[in-house]
Amino acid sequence: MARERKQVIQTRLGEREISTDAIVYFPRGLVGLEDKREYVLLQVRDDSPFMLLQCVTDPGLGLLVADPYVFIKDYDVKLDKAEKKILKLSNIRQLAVLVTVTIPQDKPEDTTLNLSGPILVNTEERVGLQAPQIESGYPAWYRLSDKKE
Amino acid sequence: MLILTRKPGESLYLGDNIKLKILNIQGKQIKIGLDVPDDMTVYREEVYLKIKEQNRQALESSQQDLLAAATLWLEKESK
Repeated sequence: MARERKQVIQTRLGEREISTDAIVYFPRGLVGLEDKREYVLLQVRDDSPFMLLQCVTDPGLGLLVADPYVFIKDYDVKLDKAEKKILKLSNIRQLAVLVTVTIPQDKPEDTTLNLSGPILVNTEERVGLQAPQIESGYPAWYRLSDKKE
Repeated sequence: MLILTRKPGESLYLGDNIKLKILNIQGKQIKIGLDVPDDMTVYREEVYLKIKEQNRQALESSQQDLLAAATLWLEKESK
């Protein structure tokens, strides 16, 4: 097995050292960002459910994402055959689910999870894909402050 | 934009491996059948545009708002 290699990249959170093994390849890019293919996940803070999906080659391109299951226990993602094939998915346990997050300017209390375009990562193969959900019953902008305990 | 006229039951080929068939027309709705390679994804435009907008918004938060939200929605708070 190859020795772990480190790489220093510029990110929206400043300079970070990443392991090249942590780079996730998105063969389709993200929706609207099709030409950017390599991303890493960075912690915003140790105790925060938010992470930054940072493009390795573009310091300005970092999307705020979150683990939806921290907030919505039964969030369900549907994938078709083509999407499973792109993700090289052989076992559902390989799959990590992220959703993008919107923070309105100066109103962090109105933060929403965007549930209609989850970003899926095959953690073993290091392949990612954004999978638009065509008929999910979830709101596209789910306010965290509306979360029921 | 290329514009073609087709009758129900008639098809179009886009390249060699994408077939688009007009199945039927009912009032203002047209039913379309698609044969596409099994690694090709097809999305409705309004879904695609909504997600593009969400991605744009996920990029926009300022460093300050990002840290404020991270403080506001601590992982331990939700457990």
